[in-house]
Amino acid sequence: MTRQYEAVYVFDSTLEDAAINEKLGRFHDLLGNPGDLQLNHWGRRQLAYPIGRREAGYYVVARFGAETTTLPEYERAIKLDDGIVRHLITLFEHEVGAPPMSEEELALANRRRDVDEDEDEE
Amino acid sequence: MRRPTKTCPFCETRVRFIDYKDDRTLGRFITDHGKILPSRLSGVCARHQRQLSTAIKRARYLAIIPYIRGTQG
Repeated sequence: MTRQYEAVYVFDSTLEDAAINEKLGRFHDLLGNPGDLQLNHWGRRQLAYPIGRREAGYYVVARFGAETTTLPEYERAIKLDDGIVRHLITLFEHEVGAPPMSEEELALANRRRDVDEDEDEE
Repeated sequence: MRRPTKTCPFCETRVRFIDYKDDRTLGRFITDHGKILPSRLSGVCARHQRQLSTAIKRARYLAIIPYIRGTQG
């Protein structure tokens, strides 16, 4: 079964850009090079807190559709890679830029809130 | 006396899903120490508060926002 995923990689910021691209290529090969792969390089960025001795990381966001069976091997490769400081793979079934709530949904949310408020009225 | 009703800022802008990569938005819902702001203060609805807390926890793990702030070391 194919599902949509979003992965964020935080690379060691001392790595060369070529090395990062090579690693990305290697990981995505393990997924069978998904055709709908979208890469977004945030580039080097200050970490919110130091991780080990690192103060900065190179962030890359990837979105792809992949077979569920290919995922464990791919994740194992990421875990074993020393150049990756942090990674997060999440399901991306809901588009962040999905159509905003319709009038009815908003009305429903408002009604629910009103009911809640009436309940805790003193 | 009826309190003035707070409206959920996410419902107002019709946000469907809260993005854990958006540090600016998440930054508005954490305290000076980096704790998650309770919905009774921010007025966020229950549904969005659940999404928000997951998003903040994911962002913390990725070092996009801090776990703690305003302390020494």
